[in-house]
Amino acid sequence: MTTVRGFLRRLWYFVRRDQYLSELEEEMRLHAELRAEAMHGAGMSADEARTAARKRFGNATVIAETSRDTWGLGTLDQLVQDIRFAARRLRARPGFSVPVMAVLALGIGATTAVFSAVDAAMLRSLPFPREHELVSLPMVAVPFEPELGERSLGRQLDISDVAVMAGVFSSPASYASGGLNLSDPDRPLRVKAGVVTASFFATLGVTPLSGRTFTAEEGKPRGPLATILSYGLWQRHFGGAPMLGKPITLHGRPYTVVGIMRPGFVFPDESDLWVALPVPTTFETFEPFRGYLPSHVIARIRPGVSTESAAAQVLARWQQVAEPARGERHDDLNGVIREVRRVGAAVPLHRELLGDRRRALLVLLGTTALLMIIACANVANLLLSDGAVRRREITLREVLGATRPRIMRQLLAESLLLAFSSACLGLLLAPAALRVVRAMMPQSLAAIAPVQLDLRVLVFAAALAIATSILFGLWPAIGATRGGDATIIIKSGGGHGASAGLGRARRGLVVVEVALTVMLLIAAGLMLRSFQRLMAEKTGMNPDQVATLETSFPSSTPGVEQRRIIDGVVDRLSRQRGVIAAGAVNDLPLRGGGGISVAINVPGAQPLDHGEPRFARFLFASGGYFDALGIAKLRGRTFSPRDATGPQVAVISAAMAEQFWPGVDPLGRYFTFRPDTTPITVIGVVADVRESALDTPPWPQMYRPIDLGSQNVAIVVRGTLPARALTATLTDAMHAVAPGQPVYNVRMMEQVVGASVLPRRTNTALIALFAGLALVLSALGVYAVVAYAVAYRTRELGIRAALGATGRDLLTLVSREMIGVIAFGIVAGLAGAWALSRVLSSLLYDVNPRDPATFIVVPLLLLLPAVVATLIPALRAARVDPTRVMRAD
Amino acid sequence: MSDPIPPGTLDMLILQTLARLEELHGFEIADAIQRTSAGVLQVEEGSLYPALQRMLMKGWLSAEWGKTRDNRRARYYRLTAAGRRQLTRERESYQRVTFAIAQILQLAPE
Repeated sequence: MTTVRGFLRRLWYFVRRDQYLSELEEEMRLHAELRAEAMHGAGMSADEARTAARKRFGNATVIAETSRDTWGLGTLDQLVQDIRFAARRLRARPGFSVPVMAVLALGIGATTAVFSAVDAAMLRSLPFPREHELVSLPMVAVPFEPELGERSLGRQLDISDVAVMAGVFSSPASYASGGLNLSDPDRPLRVKAGVVTASFFATLGVTPLSGRTFTAEEGKPRGPLATILSYGLWQRHFGGAPMLGKPITLHGRPYTVVGIMRPGFVFPDESDLWVALPVPTTFETFEPFRGYLPSHVIARIRPGVSTESAAAQVLARWQQVAEPARGERHDDLNGVIREVRRVGAAVPLHRELLGDRRRALLVLLGTTALLMIIACANVANLLLSDGAVRRREITLREVLGATRPRIMRQLLAESLLLAFSSACLGLLLAPAALRVVRAMMPQSLAAIAPVQLDLRVLVFAAALAIATSILFGLWPAIGATRGGDATIIIKSGGGHGASAGLGRARRGLVVVEVALTVMLLIAAGLMLRSFQRLMAEKTGMNPDQVATLETSFPSSTPGVEQRRIIDGVVDRLSRQRGVIAAGAVNDLPLRGGGGISVAINVPGAQPLDHGEPRFARFLFASGGYFDALGIAKLRGRTFSPRDATGPQVAVISAAMAEQFWPGVDPLGRYFTFRPDTTPITVIGVVADVRESALDTPPWPQMYRPIDLGSQNVAIVVRGTLPARALTATLTDAMHAVAPGQPVYNVRMMEQVVGASVLPRRTNTALIALFAGLALVLSALGVYAVVAYAVAYRTRELGIRAALGATGRDLLTLVSREMIGVIAFGIVAGLAGAWALSRVLSSLLYDVNPRDPATFIVVPLLLLLPAVVATLIPALRAARVDPTRVMRAD
Repeated sequence: MSDPIPPGTLDMLILQTLARLEELHGFEIADAIQRTSAGVLQVEEGSLYPALQRMLMKGWLSAEWGKTRDNRRARYYRLTAAGRRQLTRERESYQRVTFAIAQILQLAPE
């Protein structure tokens, strides 16, 4: 309490210091007058008395200053002075301060941007109450209706099994995410739908802004159709009009709006609205979603139960409940349970949403930390050189009475000022950096944990600035103030034999810089090689000059109408000028949606172990699709219009041909869907297409005619037109044939491929960028140290030259030591990269983390600029002119 | 010749003087100390004003501008409640110390 009051009093004095100072002077003047009068009264002459009084008073300025110090303003006052002084000094030496600020601004900007992503993705908690209780239960299913879910497919743990574990979990729920058509006479719209169980909102602990969430009745199979709108959709599409109780049409079916969620709540993914996921699920639920709706089960852990114990109990439950499919042995089930154990039977929801991006983000953060250390080492080096030059000035000030703490404070003020102005510059870069870093965010977290520059990130940047200024500033400050004595002033600024070498501190800094740079370069090299390998993988298609759009038909659209639209659009496109081929498929490769595989029987084929069924990825395509996307036709033919109605046929991929009919011509052979028995004849073989991800080898694939009916369709067109014209042609054709049909994801196929590798590309590009910066910084660091050493030793070099040393001798003398230091740094860096290779391995594709080529090329890559950076100033040493040096002193 | 004030006791003397005479300006404080000690103790102006400023900061004194008898502007100091408590504390500790010193001096050889 008293300290607070004392502080406020001090602050008050500080603010009004001019007034208080003049008051103090007035008070002391009165005192001197009164004293003089008293002395005069005692018999002195008036003049004598005044002189004596003044003499007795001493130096009024000193007293005033001492008094002022008692106000405690001294430090604050001095700080202001120190900062002004530092600013003056920095302005006076742009050759020093501009490079330092540029280096630090880059470091702080990059680190801050990456930190903001890590912060959003990993450090911040999910915006749900008591989010630590929320767990995801991987591989737990939502059961199908009993009459449809065949027992022959075995039994996995499902959400009802979790509900039974009341001692461990409360309120299990499930969610999935998919797209729906929102019919509207004016603006047909594709919306993202959260498909959620009735318990979902209560489990997360969120309440609607108005209305209610789903009732138990609405959460049952074939219950009343209800939907809840997100605040965003409500505002955007419905203009915030009263919607509760009103019907909207989703995928051709009427839903009643029962609630509107609060602003900002869009989980899962970026839902525009929510519809009910019934338990047990029905086929009707799946129907609008390509028959594919991967659901996630979540629950709250009861207070006092640890995640580990919950996971152990779920695992035990798996072992009790799970049953193998008919025809399989119990052993096969162990595979499933092994997988559950591997991914974790109960995982914190936050961790689950973060997924495998966690490692990538951490590696990136580590990379920026290394870059930051290199930047600091560099600046410390510059300050060390500067400090040595300033030694004379500092010693002079010491002799003139400045205290050592005061001088250290001045030097630190300079570092702090440098760091903070660099931080401000760095933050100017940050918004641009943020846009890049956003690509690294896991999709599932992007909407609920936006990456942004907020107070936390700003505080981090400020802390970083302080930490770096101490890191690079304190050391030189101590060095500069240590052992200062007057003799330094007396001696002129020539070379002193004692510190003729590079100096241990600077050598150490160069080793650190070089070693860390080698590590960064190796990381970048490995990532680049991975990316190159990945992009060189045959995708099985040619995405250049291909435009695509997606659309989706409600089940209420009759098959005839669907066929009319698809065939109509494809026909129309094929007849357009500048179009080479057009076709349709139900699911574009690399679109990232996942897909379905079906179990098939291949008569006559070697049965697999344990009677396991063979699976093949199941796609629908039109005959023109293969040409449009540039998928090579290897044998036989593709679909003709007759194939939809005639005998059942399929086009298969090379991998399917090889695996199911090894060494045999598959044309004319047939297979059946399990447990169906209708034979499907193979009429053609096409190339394998990488469709789930570029880094995943393709499964066996099978295409059936799209005319058989598919609710989801992508139209693909290849042409000679420029991208914009090609997409316009595509959307125009669609609009002409089906004006009310909403389309979405209108884009070039290259964009689809690009989007699928964007996180990896961003990560690789950033690490490569940081490594490049590190390389530049290290070269600068080496240059600065050698240049300084040469300048410092000019006199000595001159004497050597006068005594007969050749230019070559001098060059060797100056550069030999540095080359040794660089070599040591490179070896240390290689060792570090070797030791840390495991950290990177999961981020690499088809590249050994100890890839010999990278480990050989990187040192060479570094050696070249480092040697050049050494030689440029060293050559200056070789040209030292002895006579000029002698005369200069 | 008067003696300088023993170190550490100036605050106490100022507090004591203000406790006795209520309200004084700087010169009066110095004068009063010198007079009360029968000319033995002399307050250095060089330490009086810093001491007054320090005690103001600590909240032991309050100050107010007023007029002297011959109508000159002067800053008058008063004791605050905190100053009074501080005076008690300083007196107690001073007496303890002087008592202890006196005892040691009694044991000194004649």
